[in-house]
This record gives sequence, structure tokens and C-alpha cells, in this order.
Amino acid sequence: MNQKVTTELGQHCLQGLLRIWFDFERQLGRVPVIQRLERDQFTIEDYRNLLLHLRQQVIEGARWITRGASSFDRDFADVRSEVIGHARDEHRDYEILECDYVAAGGQLADIQNGERNLGTEALHAFLMHRASQPNPIDLIGAMWIIEGLGQKMAADWAKRINACTNGDGSYTQFMGYHGANDDAHMDKLYALLDRVCVDAQSVKSIHRTARVVGRLYALQLEEIDHD
Amino acid sequence: MTVYITSTGHHLPGPAINNDDIEDILGRVHGKPSRLKKRILQSNGIQTRHYAMNAEHQTTISNSAMAARAAQDCLDQSPLNPKRIQQLSAATSQGDLVLPGFGSMVQGELGLRDIELHTSHGICASGMMALKAAYTGIKAGEHRNGLVVASELASRLFKSTRYEAAGDEVDFNAEFLRRMLSDGAGAMLLEDQPRGTCFRIDWIRGYSHADAYPVCMSVGSPTDPNDHRTWQDFPTYAEAEAAGALLLRQDVRLLDNIVKLGVDGFLRLLDEGRISVNQVDHVLCHYSSDYFRSRIFDSLVQAGAMIPEEKWYTNLYTRGNTGCASIFIMLDEFRRTQAYEPGAVILCMVPESGRFNTMYMQLTVVEAP
Repeated sequence: MNQKVTTELGQHCLQGLLRIWFDFERQLGRVPVIQRLERDQFTIEDYRNLLLHLRQQVIEGARWITRGASSFDRDFADVRSEVIGHARDEHRDYEILECDYVAAGGQLADIQNGERNLGTEALHAFLMHRASQPNPIDLIGAMWIIEGLGQKMAADWAKRINACTNGDGSYTQFMGYHGANDDAHMDKLYALLDRVCVDAQSVKSIHRTARVVGRLYALQLEEIDHD
Repeated sequence: MTVYITSTGHHLPGPAINNDDIEDILGRVHGKPSRLKKRILQSNGIQTRHYAMNAEHQTTISNSAMAARAAQDCLDQSPLNPKRIQQLSAATSQGDLVLPGFGSMVQGELGLRDIELHTSHGICASGMMALKAAYTGIKAGEHRNGLVVASELASRLFKSTRYEAAGDEVDFNAEFLRRMLSDGAGAMLLEDQPRGTCFRIDWIRGYSHADAYPVCMSVGSPTDPNDHRTWQDFPTYAEAEAAGALLLRQDVRLLDNIVKLGVDGFLRLLDEGRISVNQVDHVLCHYSSDYFRSRIFDSLVQAGAMIPEEKWYTNLYTRGNTGCASIFIMLDEFRRTQAYEPGAVILCMVPESGRFNTMYMQLTVVEAP
């Protein structure tokens, strides 16, 4: 296996991001709905509820990514291209998620009219705020967490959800898709780390945004049980 | 106060048992050869191991006696008079008796007088927890020395009769560790002064994550995941056994966490400045299976924090996985058989899958003036 990040600052950034990711996984391990999933106590109602809350974040996802793309000036045109490509890949993913919700026994109107929970509000507001700053390279930290979820957790979650609810995979298409495709997205992120980690400040800002996004993402999942 | 490991010892019971002979000792469940054996053995890479049990399922040496032999082996190589030992710290996952603590039984075997006693209970990391207790005792100036022993007699759990008592079907999670774990004991002598060529303990550090992860390796829960009783909640021990609550079980789907938590701890230590990748000369890592070796390497390479492969030492393949005793037996064999120079830095790592507790230690080779 070769190192995916080659510059010293890029590696320093990556080591921090790995630790932030491991910490994020532990935060998820303390969230009640995820604990039920890990301990085989997860029901189809839990799943519908999870989709209901996730959809509100997913639909906003492409918005902050495209906003972020527009905030990169000409010195970062290459980064902007990557980010635009990424947004295009994902900006209608929420439609798969809605289909899953209906296939799992939910009403389409319910998920389309759902509201952002407190965690989603905070996450969305933070991401839109960061995406509106000039050359927001720290958004790579946000993508690290959110793409990481797809790459590292979604396939496993889909498998567990199906096992817990006797599903045949027909209503876990969204998670199944991300589990299978986010590897390529992560590889692009590694390349970007080498590109944008030019000083200590850039590394710090990427780490900070990753930490905030991880915390708010976990909060979003915690809020599922507050309804 | 600085603490040194001035001697080490080990005891591995009986002859080395190769892969073909495992079932002659442990027995065949319902008389049938295991379907999973080959797959598990291929992945863990272990070629030989030792059992403190014979083919008739009789225990050939008790756990506390094994611990005492390792301790004696350690003391035999030191000029320190055993009467001057001030503390004994002992670890095991299962003593011979349920109570009292394992340390009491080891002290009795060794005949050590008026010592301060510590018993550490747990799985693979309990040996390091016992070591840390003795280390901090010396560091705090409470004692001038301490004997640390870690010993495992896991094979008693793996008798075919025990699986038969738990029903017709053996689940993979209960079968898994039957091919992984074996018996043995290791010991270390800690002192506040160096002697000859010895190891200075630079630091010992652990990170436990039981708050964030479910139980991964355990004895005490029944086979049925919906039955939340533990072994003592059953009306009789016979009923607990029939429900599979006395089998050692590994939730294999959670096992991958061990690699990332091991790497996470490593990155924390880098961040805290306790480790410097370029300055580590030898790595002794208690990975339970060869399968994990490449997984750990991949993660460290990806993070740009790899220590070159030729610096990694292990005796897993010939001594087996002896749980909390493994790192002790490994350091002992390293000390006796490998070349190392004064000033060399040795990093020891023990990731435990019980409920995810990882421990690390850095040693520096020193020469007594």
C-alpha cells in the first residue's frame, strides 16, 4: 500500500483527520439510535425515523458544496473544479433516500415535509457560513467526515439495518450506493490535501472544521431520539 | 523515580503443539472435525502453541503454578534476593479459583512474604495494567522493586465437552477463539536502579473505549443475543452452561475496530510527542493474529506514520496467542535472542478487543554504570 498523501504538511493534516475521524466514530458509538443498530435492537420504525432526519441534511448537502465551489477564486480554479464535480455527483441523492423511505413503509409527503432537527440546523448553518468565506479550503475537513461516513459506515449500516429488520436490500439503496461509491470520492480528497495544505494555518482550519462537523453530525443523530 | 525492567522470564507448559494436533488435545465437538479450523488457522498464522492440558482434558499445571514458574525463571536470572521483593502485581483473564484474586494464589505459590499485592483482571491489556500498577508504585517512591506476572490458562475453556454441553450447534463466534488462544505465563522484575543491560520504562499509557463500543470478547453471556441474563442470573450453573453463557465468545464483526483504535492510540502518542516514528528501533506488538499485521501496516502507511517492517518483532507464530501474557513472553524472548544496543527505543503495543482497551509502553535500553 502506498501513502496517498505525500507532502509533510499533508501528512500532518491527514494524521489529525484520522484521529478526528476515530473520535467521531466513538461519538457515534454513544448515540442511542446507533447503539440500537450496533446491538441488534434496531426496528423498522427506527430506520424510517433515521431516514426522515437524514434527508433534511442530505438535501442541503449539495447546496453548501456548490456554495463552497463558488467561493473559490481563480487561484483555486482546480479545487473549484473538483468541488463542482463532487456536487454534481451527489446533488440529487436525496431522491434515492426518499424512495428508500417509501419502500420501508413511509409516506412520501411525510419525508418531503419533514423539518431539520436542531443538530441539522446547526450543521447546515455552520456549513453554509464556512462555504461563504473566500477560498474555504477547510470544507475538505467537512467532506472528510461526510464522505467518510459514506465510505466507511454506510455499507455496514445497510447490512445491519437489513439484518435487524429482515430487509432484502430494497430499502437501503441510499446507504448501499454510498458504501460502494465513496471510495473514489475519498481518493480525490487525499489529492486535495497535498494541494491545499501549504501552511500550519490551513491544516488547523481543516482540522477545526472537521471537528465541528463531526460534533454537529453526531448531534443531529442524537436529536432523532428527542422527538 | 526512574523504573527499569531488570529481568524477565516465562513458562510455556508441555510440548509445542502443531496445527494438526490441536484437536487431539481440545477434542472434537460431537466427534466431528471442525469445519472452521483451517480458515481460522490460515488467517492467524500460528504454527505451534502450548497447552496446560493433556488429551484426557486433565490440567497438567495450574494457572497460578505457571505464573509462579515464570516468576521463578525471572528471579533466577537476577541477583536480587527474592526476600527483598516488595510488591507483586499479577494478571490473568481467569484464575484457577473464582475468588480470591489471582495474585493471592501466585503469592502463595511463590512463597513471597509481606509484599503489597495487586491483581489486575481483564483480557489482553490486563498484563499491561498489572505492569503499570507496579511501575507507578515504584515511581511514586512507595517501593524499590516489584514483580509482575501475567499468565493464561485458556485451554480449559475450549474442551469439546463444554461446547457439547451448550447444544448441537457451535456458532462461529464461540468457535473462533478456540483456534487462537493457548496457555503460557511471563514475568518481569522492576527495580528503581538499572542492572546490567536492562530496559528503562519511559512511559506506559492506555486508552479504553468501553463507553463507545459494545462488548466484543467475553465469557458470561448466553448464545441468544436477545437473552440479556448473565451467567450468574440463571437458576443453576448447569442452565447457564446449556445456554452457552460459559463459552468464550468473540463478536467477530466488531473486531476491525481493534486496528483503527490501535492506530488511533499510536497517532495520539505521536501528537503528544511521546513517540517519534524515526526514533523507534524495535516494535513489539501483541496482534492476536497475522491477519491484523497487514491491516495495521496499511493503516500506518496511509497515515504516513509507518515504522519499517524489519523493526517489528513477534513470536506469535511459535508461542501462540497467550492473551495478557503474550507481551511478557514476547519481551522475554526478545531480550534473550535479539540484538539491541544501549539507547535503542522499544515500543510495545497491546490492543485488547474485550471492550476495546489499547495500551502502549516505551522502553529504552540502558547499561548500568
